[in-house]
Amino acid sequence: MENMDDTSGSSFEDMGELHQRLREEEVDADAAAAEEEDGEFLGMKGFKGQLSRQVADQMWQAGKRQASRAFSLYANIDILRPYFDVEPAQVRSRLLESMIPIKMVNFPQKIAGELYGPLMLVFTLVAILLHGMKTSDTIIREGTLMGTAIGTCFGYWLGVSSFIYFLAYLCNAQITMLQMLALLGYGLFGHCIVLFVTYNIHLHALFYVFWLLVGGLSTLRMVAVLVSRTVGPTQRLLLCGTLAALHMLFLLYLHFAYHKVVEGILDTLEGPDIPPMQRVPRDVPAALPAARLSAIVLNATAKAVAVTLQSH
Amino acid sequence: MMQPQQPYTGQIFQPTQAYTPTTPQPFYGNSFEDEPPLLEELGINFDHIWQKTLTVLHPLKVADGSIMNETDLAGPMVFCLAFGATLLLAGKIQFGYVYGISAIGCLGMFCLLNLMSMTGVSFGCVASVLGYCLLPMILLSSFAVIFSLQGMVGIILTAGIIGWCSFSASKIFISALAMEGQQLLVAYPCALLYGVFALISVF
Repeated sequence: MENMDDTSGSSFEDMGELHQRLREEEVDADAAAAEEEDGEFLGMKGFKGQLSRQVADQMWQAGKRQASRAFSLYANIDILRPYFDVEPAQVRSRLLESMIPIKMVNFPQKIAGELYGPLMLVFTLVAILLHGMKTSDTIIREGTLMGTAIGTCFGYWLGVSSFIYFLAYLCNAQITMLQMLALLGYGLFGHCIVLFVTYNIHLHALFYVFWLLVGGLSTLRMVAVLVSRTVGPTQRLLLCGTLAALHMLFLLYLHFAYHKVVEGILDTLEGPDIPPMQRVPRDVPAALPAARLSAIVLNATAKAVAVTLQSH
Repeated sequence: MMQPQQPYTGQIFQPTQAYTPTTPQPFYGNSFEDEPPLLEELGINFDHIWQKTLTVLHPLKVADGSIMNETDLAGPMVFCLAFGATLLLAGKIQFGYVYGISAIGCLGMFCLLNLMSMTGVSFGCVASVLGYCLLPMILLSSFAVIFSLQGMVGIILTAGIIGWCSFSASKIFISALAMEGQQLLVAYPCALLYGVFALISVF
Protein backbone atom coordinates (compact mmCIF):
# COMPACT_ATOMS: atom_id res chain seq x y z
CA MET A 1 0.00 0.00 0.00
CA GLU A 2 3.05 2.26 0.23
CA ASN A 3 3.14 2.87 -3.53
CA MET A 4 -0.29 4.48 -3.43
CA ASP A 5 1.07 7.44 -1.56
CA ASP A 6 2.20 10.34 -3.67
CA THR A 7 5.10 11.96 -1.94
CA SER A 8 5.57 14.97 -4.16
CA GLY A 9 9.11 15.50 -3.05
CA SER A 10 8.63 18.69 -1.02
CA SER A 11 10.73 18.76 2.09
CA PHE A 12 7.71 19.53 4.22
CA GLU A 13 6.09 16.25 3.33
CA ASP A 14 9.36 14.39 3.69
CA MET A 15 9.55 15.63 7.25
CA GLY A 16 6.05 14.38 7.78
CA GLU A 17 7.09 11.00 6.39
CA LEU A 18 10.09 10.87 8.68
CA HIS A 19 8.03 11.69 11.76
CA GLN A 20 5.49 9.11 10.72
CA ARG A 21 8.08 6.41 10.16
CA LEU A 22 9.75 7.01 13.53
CA ARG A 23 6.43 6.84 15.28
CA GLU A 24 5.45 3.70 13.39
CA GLU A 25 8.64 1.95 14.41
CA GLU A 26 7.83 2.57 18.05
CA VAL A 27 4.26 1.45 17.58
CA ASP A 28 5.32 -1.66 15.66
CA ALA A 29 7.76 -2.65 18.37
CA ASP A 30 5.01 -2.42 20.96
CA ALA A 31 2.50 -4.16 18.73
CA ALA A 32 4.87 -7.02 18.00
CA ALA A 33 5.33 -7.64 21.69
CA ALA A 34 1.59 -7.58 22.21
CA GLU A 35 0.88 -9.80 19.23
CA GLU A 36 3.22 -12.53 20.39
CA GLU A 37 1.19 -13.02 23.53
CA ASP A 38 -2.00 -12.67 21.55
CA GLY A 39 -1.02 -15.29 18.98
CA GLU A 40 -0.38 -17.89 21.66
CA PHE A 41 -3.78 -17.33 23.10
CA LEU A 42 -5.53 -17.33 19.73
CA GLY A 43 -3.69 -20.45 18.59
CA MET A 44 -5.95 -22.25 21.00
CA LYS A 45 -9.11 -20.71 19.49
CA GLY A 46 -8.67 -21.67 15.90
CA PHE A 47 -6.95 -20.67 12.69
CA LYS A 48 -9.92 -18.99 10.99
CA GLY A 49 -10.51 -16.60 13.86
CA GLN A 50 -6.87 -15.63 13.86
CA LEU A 51 -6.83 -14.91 10.12
CA SER A 52 -9.86 -12.64 10.10
CA ARG A 53 -8.58 -10.92 13.17
CA GLN A 54 -5.24 -10.27 11.51
CA VAL A 55 -6.86 -8.91 8.36
CA ALA A 56 -9.02 -6.54 10.35
CA ASP A 57 -6.01 -5.52 12.35
CA GLN A 58 -3.99 -4.76 9.22
CA MET A 59 -6.77 -2.68 7.72
CA TRP A 60 -7.07 -0.73 10.93
CA GLN A 61 -3.33 -0.12 11.05
CA ALA A 62 -3.22 1.05 7.45
CA GLY A 63 -6.12 3.43 7.98
CA LYS A 64 -4.62 4.76 11.15
CA ARG A 65 -1.30 5.28 9.42
CA GLN A 66 -2.89 7.33 6.65
CA ALA A 67 -4.90 9.43 9.04
CA SER A 68 -2.05 10.16 11.40
CA ARG A 69 0.23 11.03 8.50
CA ALA A 70 -2.31 13.56 7.23
CA PHE A 71 -2.76 14.88 10.76
CA SER A 72 0.93 15.28 11.43
CA LEU A 73 1.33 17.16 8.18
CA TYR A 74 -1.53 19.60 8.34
CA ALA A 75 -2.47 19.95 11.97
CA ASN A 76 1.05 20.39 13.19
CA ILE A 77 0.69 23.44 15.33
CA ASP A 78 4.44 23.81 15.65
CA ILE A 79 4.62 25.47 12.22
CA LEU A 80 3.14 28.57 13.79
CA ARG A 81 5.53 28.63 16.72
CA PRO A 82 7.99 31.26 15.35
CA TYR A 83 5.17 33.73 14.79
CA PHE A 84 4.29 33.86 18.48
CA ASP A 85 7.76 34.65 19.74
CA VAL A 86 7.28 38.25 20.87
CA GLU A 87 8.05 40.55 23.76
CA PRO A 88 5.46 42.86 25.36
CA ALA A 89 7.48 45.93 24.37
CA GLN A 90 7.45 44.84 20.73
CA VAL A 91 3.69 44.35 20.73
CA ARG A 92 3.18 47.73 22.35
CA SER A 93 5.34 49.55 19.83
CA ARG A 94 3.67 47.78 16.91
CA LEU A 95 0.25 48.74 18.22
CA LEU A 96 1.26 52.38 18.37
CA GLU A 97 2.94 52.28 14.98
CA SER A 98 -0.21 50.89 13.38
CA MET A 99 -1.80 54.30 13.87
CA ILE A 100 1.06 56.30 12.35
CA PRO A 101 1.23 56.34 8.57
CA ILE A 102 4.74 56.61 7.13
CA LYS A 103 5.14 58.51 3.90
CA MET A 104 8.15 56.59 2.57
CA VAL A 105 6.81 54.90 -0.54
CA ASN A 106 9.93 54.42 -2.63
CA PHE A 107 11.31 51.58 -0.57
CA PRO A 108 9.29 48.60 0.73
CA GLN A 109 8.26 49.29 4.28
CA LYS A 110 8.91 46.65 6.89
CA ILE A 111 5.96 44.59 8.15
CA ALA A 112 6.28 42.63 11.37
CA GLY A 113 5.52 39.01 10.58
CA GLU A 114 3.91 37.92 13.80
CA LEU A 115 0.50 36.57 14.64
CA TYR A 116 0.18 37.16 18.39
CA GLY A 117 -0.79 40.84 18.14
CA PRO A 118 -3.30 40.40 15.30
CA LEU A 119 -4.90 37.37 16.97
CA MET A 120 -5.31 39.20 20.27
CA LEU A 121 -6.74 42.23 18.47
CA VAL A 122 -9.32 40.07 16.70
CA PHE A 123 -10.31 38.51 20.02
CA THR A 124 -10.50 41.98 21.57
CA LEU A 125 -12.82 43.08 18.78
CA VAL A 126 -14.97 40.00 19.47
CA ALA A 127 -15.11 40.95 23.15
CA ILE A 128 -16.04 44.56 22.35
CA LEU A 129 -18.77 43.44 19.96
CA LEU A 130 -20.09 41.03 22.56
CA HIS A 131 -20.11 43.78 25.17
CA GLY A 132 -21.93 46.09 22.78
CA MET A 133 -24.53 43.45 22.05
CA LYS A 134 -24.96 42.69 25.73
CA THR A 135 -25.55 46.33 26.67
CA SER A 136 -28.39 46.31 24.16
CA ASP A 137 -30.01 43.62 26.33
CA THR A 138 -30.19 40.74 23.88
CA ILE A 139 -29.60 38.13 26.55
CA ILE A 140 -31.70 35.32 25.10
CA ARG A 141 -29.69 34.79 22.00
CA GLU A 142 -26.43 34.49 23.89
CA GLY A 143 -25.09 31.49 22.02
CA THR A 144 -25.77 33.11 18.68
CA LEU A 145 -24.30 36.38 19.89
CA MET A 146 -20.96 34.74 20.54
CA GLY A 147 -21.09 32.92 17.22
CA THR A 148 -22.03 36.07 15.34
CA ALA A 149 -19.26 38.11 16.91
CA ILE A 150 -16.59 35.47 16.34
CA GLY A 151 -17.80 34.79 12.81
CA THR A 152 -17.85 38.46 11.87
CA CYS A 153 -14.41 39.30 13.23
CA PHE A 154 -12.54 36.20 12.13
CA GLY A 155 -14.36 36.21 8.83
CA TYR A 156 -13.26 39.76 8.17
CA TRP A 157 -9.68 39.18 9.24
CA LEU A 158 -9.13 35.95 7.32
CA GLY A 159 -11.43 36.70 4.40
CA VAL A 160 -10.31 40.21 3.58
CA SER A 161 -6.65 39.25 4.10
CA SER A 162 -7.03 36.44 1.59
CA PHE A 163 -8.87 38.67 -0.86
CA ILE A 164 -6.30 41.45 -0.66
CA TYR A 165 -3.51 38.87 -0.93
CA PHE A 166 -5.16 37.57 -4.09
CA LEU A 167 -5.42 41.13 -5.47
CA ALA A 168 -1.80 41.71 -4.49
CA TYR A 169 -0.87 38.62 -6.46
CA LEU A 170 -2.73 40.04 -9.46
CA CYS A 171 -1.15 43.47 -9.02
CA ASN A 172 2.30 42.00 -8.50
CA ALA A 173 2.78 43.45 -5.04
CA GLN A 174 5.54 42.16 -2.77
CA ILE A 175 3.65 40.88 0.18
CA THR A 176 3.21 37.44 1.68
CA MET A 177 0.06 36.03 3.23
CA LEU A 178 1.54 36.19 6.72
CA GLN A 179 2.45 39.84 6.26
CA MET A 180 -1.04 40.61 4.99
CA LEU A 181 -2.60 38.88 7.99
CA ALA A 182 -0.34 40.80 10.34
CA LEU A 183 -0.99 44.13 8.59
CA LEU A 184 -4.75 43.79 8.60
CA GLY A 185 -4.73 42.43 12.14
CA TYR A 186 -2.89 45.45 13.46
CA GLY A 187 -5.20 47.64 11.40
CA LEU A 188 -8.05 46.42 13.58
CA PHE A 189 -6.55 48.33 16.52
CA GLY A 190 -8.20 51.50 15.27
CA HIS A 191 -11.54 49.68 14.97
CA CYS A 192 -11.24 48.46 18.57
CA ILE A 193 -10.66 51.97 19.87
CA VAL A 194 -13.50 53.53 17.89
CA LEU A 195 -16.02 50.87 18.82
CA PHE A 196 -15.01 50.81 22.47
CA VAL A 197 -15.60 54.56 22.75
CA THR A 198 -18.74 54.83 20.63
CA TYR A 199 -20.55 51.81 22.09
CA ASN A 200 -20.45 53.57 25.42
CA ILE A 201 -21.06 57.15 24.28
CA HIS A 202 -23.95 57.12 21.84
CA LEU A 203 -23.36 60.24 19.76
CA HIS A 204 -23.51 60.00 16.02
CA ALA A 205 -21.32 63.06 15.45
CA LEU A 206 -18.66 61.64 17.73
CA PHE A 207 -18.72 58.39 15.83
CA TYR A 208 -18.25 60.10 12.48
CA VAL A 209 -15.31 62.12 13.80
CA PHE A 210 -13.67 58.99 15.22
CA TRP A 211 -14.44 57.04 12.07
CA LEU A 212 -12.64 59.56 9.92
CA LEU A 213 -9.77 60.27 12.26
CA VAL A 214 -8.87 56.96 13.87
CA GLY A 215 -10.17 54.70 11.13
CA GLY A 216 -8.60 56.92 8.54
CA LEU A 217 -5.21 56.86 10.26
CA SER A 218 -5.03 53.09 10.46
CA THR A 219 -6.24 52.78 6.85
CA LEU A 220 -3.63 55.29 5.70
CA ARG A 221 -0.93 53.30 7.45
CA MET A 222 -1.93 50.09 5.65
CA VAL A 223 -2.29 51.92 2.34
CA ALA A 224 1.16 53.47 2.67
CA VAL A 225 2.71 50.06 3.31
CA LEU A 226 0.98 48.55 0.30
CA VAL A 227 1.88 51.48 -1.96
CA SER A 228 5.52 51.09 -0.99
CA ARG A 229 5.35 47.45 -2.05
CA THR A 230 3.50 47.88 -5.36
CA VAL A 231 4.74 49.22 -8.67
CA GLY A 232 2.51 51.03 -11.13
CA PRO A 233 -0.21 53.59 -10.50
CA THR A 234 -3.13 51.43 -11.66
CA GLN A 235 -2.11 48.55 -9.49
CA ARG A 236 -1.56 50.81 -6.51
CA LEU A 237 -4.96 52.40 -7.01
CA LEU A 238 -6.75 49.10 -7.33
CA LEU A 239 -5.12 47.46 -4.33
CA CYS A 240 -5.19 50.39 -1.96
CA GLY A 241 -8.61 51.57 -3.01
CA THR A 242 -10.08 48.15 -2.33
CA LEU A 243 -8.40 47.86 1.06
CA ALA A 244 -9.36 51.37 2.12
CA ALA A 245 -12.98 50.88 1.07
CA LEU A 246 -13.31 47.52 2.82
CA HIS A 247 -11.62 48.68 6.00
CA MET A 248 -13.62 51.88 6.42
CA LEU A 249 -16.89 50.27 5.42
CA PHE A 250 -16.33 47.46 7.93
CA LEU A 251 -16.08 49.97 10.76
CA LEU A 252 -19.22 51.69 9.54
CA TYR A 253 -21.00 48.35 9.36
CA LEU A 254 -19.92 47.28 12.84
CA HIS A 255 -21.14 50.49 14.35
CA PHE A 256 -24.49 50.63 12.63
CA ALA A 257 -25.32 46.93 12.60
CA TYR A 258 -25.03 46.76 16.37
CA HIS A 259 -25.85 50.37 17.21
CA LYS A 260 -29.23 50.04 15.54
CA VAL A 261 -30.00 47.23 17.91
CA VAL A 262 -29.43 49.57 20.81
CA GLU A 263 -31.63 52.26 19.30
CA GLY A 264 -34.31 49.77 18.36
CA ILE A 265 -34.46 48.30 21.81
CA LEU A 266 -34.60 51.76 23.41
CA ASP A 267 -37.56 52.68 21.20
CA THR A 268 -39.37 49.48 22.04
CA LEU A 269 -38.82 49.88 25.76
CA GLU A 270 -39.88 53.52 26.00
CA GLY A 271 -42.34 53.53 23.10
CA PRO A 272 -43.50 56.55 21.07
CA ASP A 273 -45.88 58.90 22.84
CA ILE A 274 -49.39 57.65 22.09
CA PRO A 275 -52.23 58.87 24.25
CA PRO A 276 -54.61 56.20 25.50
CA MET A 277 -57.47 55.35 23.18
CA GLN A 278 -60.14 58.06 23.17
CA ARG A 279 -63.72 57.95 22.01
CA VAL A 280 -64.30 60.75 19.52
CA PRO A 281 -67.74 61.37 18.07
CA ARG A 282 -67.80 60.58 14.40
CA ASP A 283 -68.72 63.20 11.79
CA VAL A 284 -72.21 62.46 10.62
CA PRO A 285 -73.15 63.70 7.09
CA ALA A 286 -75.43 66.80 7.13
CA ALA A 287 -77.79 65.22 4.53
CA LEU A 288 -79.35 63.08 7.18
CA PRO A 289 -80.14 65.40 10.01
CA ALA A 290 -83.41 63.77 11.02
CA ALA A 291 -82.21 60.26 10.78
CA ARG A 292 -78.92 60.91 12.61
CA LEU A 293 -79.20 58.01 14.89
CA SER A 294 -80.35 55.58 12.21
CA ALA A 295 -77.51 56.72 9.94
CA ILE A 296 -75.03 55.43 12.51
CA VAL A 297 -76.66 52.12 13.23
CA LEU A 298 -77.96 51.20 9.78
CA ASN A 299 -75.87 49.45 7.23
CA ALA A 300 -75.15 50.68 3.69
CA THR A 301 -78.31 49.26 2.08
CA ALA A 302 -80.54 50.73 4.68
CA LYS A 303 -78.77 54.04 4.35
CA ALA A 304 -79.35 54.03 0.59
CA VAL A 305 -83.03 53.29 1.14
CA ALA A 306 -83.25 56.06 3.73
CA VAL A 307 -81.64 58.51 1.31
CA THR A 308 -84.11 57.64 -1.48
CA LEU A 309 -87.00 57.89 0.93
CA GLN A 310 -85.82 61.24 2.12
CA SER A 311 -85.38 62.59 -1.39
CA HIS A 312 -88.97 61.83 -2.11
CA MET B 1 5.08 -1.11 53.08
CA MET B 2 7.87 -2.51 55.21
CA GLN B 3 6.59 -4.00 58.43
CA PRO B 4 8.87 -4.47 61.44
CA GLN B 5 9.46 -8.20 61.90
CA GLN B 6 7.52 -9.70 64.78
CA PRO B 7 10.11 -10.94 67.29
CA TYR B 8 9.73 -14.61 67.95
CA THR B 9 8.64 -14.74 71.52
CA GLY B 10 9.03 -18.44 71.79
CA GLN B 11 5.37 -19.28 72.04
CA ILE B 12 4.84 -22.19 69.73
CA PHE B 13 1.26 -23.26 68.97
CA GLN B 14 -0.09 -19.97 70.28
CA PRO B 15 -1.20 -17.05 68.15
CA THR B 16 0.88 -13.88 68.37
CA GLN B 17 -0.83 -11.27 70.52
CA ALA B 18 0.25 -8.11 68.71
CA TYR B 19 -1.87 -8.16 65.56
CA THR B 20 -1.94 -4.84 63.77
CA PRO B 21 -4.45 -4.09 61.01
CA THR B 22 -1.72 -3.07 58.61
CA THR B 23 0.17 -6.36 58.82
CA PRO B 24 0.49 -7.64 55.24
CA GLN B 25 -1.10 -11.00 54.58
CA PRO B 26 0.65 -12.31 51.47
CA PHE B 27 -1.42 -15.45 51.52
CA TYR B 28 -4.62 -13.48 50.77
CA GLY B 29 -3.11 -10.97 48.25
CA ASN B 30 -4.45 -7.36 48.23
CA SER B 31 -6.76 -7.23 51.18
CA PHE B 32 -9.06 -4.39 52.03
CA GLU B 33 -6.62 -2.89 54.44
CA ASP B 34 -3.88 -2.81 51.80
CA GLU B 35 -5.64 -0.34 49.54
CA PRO B 36 -4.60 3.30 49.77
CA PRO B 37 -7.15 5.77 51.13
CA LEU B 38 -9.93 6.68 48.72
CA LEU B 39 -8.91 10.30 48.32
CA GLU B 40 -5.33 9.33 47.60
CA GLU B 41 -6.51 6.86 44.99
CA LEU B 42 -8.68 9.48 43.35
CA GLY B 43 -5.77 11.89 43.36
CA ILE B 44 -7.51 14.48 45.52
CA ASN B 45 -4.95 15.98 47.82
CA PHE B 46 -6.63 18.55 50.03
CA ASP B 47 -3.39 20.12 51.16
CA HIS B 48 -2.31 20.85 47.59
CA ILE B 49 -5.77 22.16 46.73
CA TRP B 50 -5.55 24.51 49.67
CA GLN B 51 -2.05 25.64 48.67
CA LYS B 52 -3.13 26.40 45.14
CA THR B 53 -6.21 28.25 46.36
CA LEU B 54 -4.04 30.43 48.58
CA THR B 55 -1.71 31.14 45.67
CA VAL B 56 -4.66 32.37 43.64
CA LEU B 57 -6.22 34.42 46.40
CA HIS B 58 -3.01 36.20 47.31
CA PRO B 59 -2.04 38.02 44.11
CA LEU B 60 1.33 39.20 45.35
CA LYS B 61 2.49 35.85 46.65
CA VAL B 62 5.22 34.32 44.53
CA ALA B 63 3.96 31.15 42.86
CA ASP B 64 5.90 27.93 43.17
CA GLY B 65 6.36 26.38 39.73
CA SER B 66 6.20 22.82 41.01
CA ILE B 67 2.67 23.00 42.37
CA MET B 68 1.30 22.55 38.89
CA ASN B 69 3.18 19.35 38.24
CA GLU B 70 0.27 17.11 39.04
CA THR B 71 -2.94 17.76 37.13
CA ASP B 72 -5.73 18.30 39.58
CA LEU B 73 -9.17 18.80 38.12
CA ALA B 74 -11.16 18.28 41.31
CA GLY B 75 -10.64 21.84 42.53
CA PRO B 76 -11.52 23.47 39.19
CA MET B 77 -14.64 21.30 38.94
CA VAL B 78 -15.76 22.46 42.34
CA PHE B 79 -15.10 26.08 41.42
CA CYS B 80 -17.03 25.81 38.14
CA LEU B 81 -19.96 24.29 40.00
CA ALA B 82 -19.76 27.00 42.63
CA PHE B 83 -19.73 29.67 39.91
CA GLY B 84 -22.78 28.13 38.29
CA ALA B 85 -24.47 27.88 41.68
CA THR B 86 -23.90 31.56 42.49
CA LEU B 87 -25.28 32.47 39.06
CA LEU B 88 -28.28 30.28 39.87
CA LEU B 89 -28.78 32.26 43.05
CA ALA B 90 -29.04 35.37 40.88
CA GLY B 91 -31.65 33.71 38.70
CA LYS B 92 -29.44 32.77 35.75
CA ILE B 93 -29.50 29.07 34.85
CA GLN B 94 -26.36 29.07 32.74
CA PHE B 95 -24.35 26.00 33.70
CA GLY B 96 -24.10 25.04 30.04
CA TYR B 97 -22.53 28.34 29.07
CA VAL B 98 -20.04 28.12 31.94
CA TYR B 99 -18.89 24.64 30.90
CA GLY B 100 -18.87 25.49 27.20
CA ILE B 101 -16.87 28.67 27.61
CA SER B 102 -14.49 26.93 30.03
CA ALA B 103 -13.84 24.14 27.54
CA ILE B 104 -13.32 26.40 24.56
CA GLY B 105 -11.26 28.87 26.57
CA CYS B 106 -9.02 26.11 27.93
CA LEU B 107 -8.52 24.77 24.41
CA GLY B 108 -7.59 28.21 23.13
CA MET B 109 -5.17 28.88 25.98
CA PHE B 110 -3.67 25.42 25.52
CA CYS B 111 -2.92 26.13 21.85
CA LEU B 112 -1.56 29.59 22.60
CA LEU B 113 0.66 28.49 25.48
CA ASN B 114 2.03 25.59 23.49
CA LEU B 115 2.99 28.03 20.77
CA MET B 116 4.48 30.60 23.11
CA SER B 117 6.43 28.47 25.54
CA MET B 118 9.72 26.66 25.01
CA THR B 119 8.51 23.55 26.81
CA GLY B 120 5.04 22.39 25.95
CA VAL B 121 2.19 22.30 28.39
CA SER B 122 -0.48 19.67 28.91
CA PHE B 123 -4.17 20.36 28.58
CA GLY B 124 -4.80 19.20 32.12
CA CYS B 125 -2.34 21.73 33.51
CA VAL B 126 -3.96 24.59 31.59
CA ALA B 127 -7.46 23.52 32.65
CA SER B 128 -6.32 23.19 36.24
CA VAL B 129 -4.73 26.66 36.41
CA LEU B 130 -7.62 28.41 34.66
CA GLY B 131 -10.09 26.61 36.91
CA TYR B 132 -8.33 27.64 40.09
CA CYS B 133 -8.10 31.25 38.99
CA LEU B 134 -11.87 31.33 38.50
CA LEU B 135 -12.19 31.73 42.27
CA PRO B 136 -12.32 35.56 42.37
CA MET B 137 -15.02 35.43 39.68
CA ILE B 138 -17.14 33.47 42.17
CA LEU B 139 -16.82 36.44 44.52
CA LEU B 140 -18.05 38.72 41.73
CA SER B 141 -21.06 36.58 40.91
CA SER B 142 -22.00 36.23 44.58
CA PHE B 143 -21.82 40.03 44.85
CA ALA B 144 -24.14 40.19 41.82
CA VAL B 145 -26.74 38.16 43.72
CA ILE B 146 -27.46 41.07 46.00
CA PHE B 147 -26.31 44.19 44.14
CA SER B 148 -26.61 44.99 40.45
CA LEU B 149 -23.29 45.26 38.66
CA GLN B 150 -24.46 47.58 35.95
CA GLY B 151 -23.46 50.85 37.54
CA MET B 152 -20.08 52.55 37.83
CA VAL B 153 -19.26 50.60 41.00
CA GLY B 154 -20.08 47.38 39.17
CA ILE B 155 -17.82 48.28 36.26
CA ILE B 156 -14.88 49.09 38.53
CA LEU B 157 -15.41 45.94 40.60
CA THR B 158 -15.68 43.78 37.47
CA ALA B 159 -12.52 45.27 36.00
CA GLY B 160 -10.70 44.68 39.28
CA ILE B 161 -11.81 41.07 39.54
CA ILE B 162 -10.90 40.34 35.91
CA GLY B 163 -7.48 41.84 36.54
CA TRP B 164 -7.05 39.75 39.70
CA CYS B 165 -8.00 36.49 37.94
CA SER B 166 -5.79 37.07 34.93
CA PHE B 167 -2.88 38.28 37.04
CA SER B 168 -2.97 35.12 39.15
CA ALA B 169 -3.34 32.83 36.14
CA SER B 170 -0.48 34.47 34.27
CA LYS B 171 1.69 34.40 37.39
CA ILE B 172 1.23 30.64 37.76
CA PHE B 173 1.70 30.01 34.04
CA ILE B 174 4.95 31.91 33.76
CA SER B 175 6.40 30.31 36.85
CA ALA B 176 5.41 26.83 35.66
CA LEU B 177 6.59 27.35 32.07
CA ALA B 178 9.58 29.61 32.74
CA MET B 179 8.39 32.43 30.50
CA GLU B 180 9.85 35.45 32.26
CA GLY B 181 9.11 38.80 30.72
CA GLN B 182 5.98 37.57 28.98
CA GLN B 183 3.54 37.88 31.85
CA LEU B 184 1.53 40.62 30.13
CA LEU B 185 1.33 38.57 26.94
CA VAL B 186 -0.10 35.62 28.86
CA ALA B 187 -2.31 37.78 31.07
CA TYR B 188 -4.13 39.44 28.19
CA PRO B 189 -5.80 36.33 26.70
CA CYS B 190 -6.66 35.20 30.23
CA ALA B 191 -8.26 38.60 30.79
CA LEU B 192 -10.33 38.16 27.62
CA LEU B 193 -11.50 34.73 28.81
CA TYR B 194 -12.39 35.91 32.29
CA GLY B 195 -14.04 38.94 30.70
CA VAL B 196 -16.49 36.59 28.99
CA PHE B 197 -17.24 34.97 32.36
CA ALA B 198 -17.73 38.43 33.82
CA LEU B 199 -20.18 39.23 31.01
CA ILE B 200 -22.24 36.22 32.07
CA SER B 201 -22.19 37.41 35.68
CA VAL B 202 -23.03 41.01 34.96
CA PHE B 203 -25.73 40.68 32.31
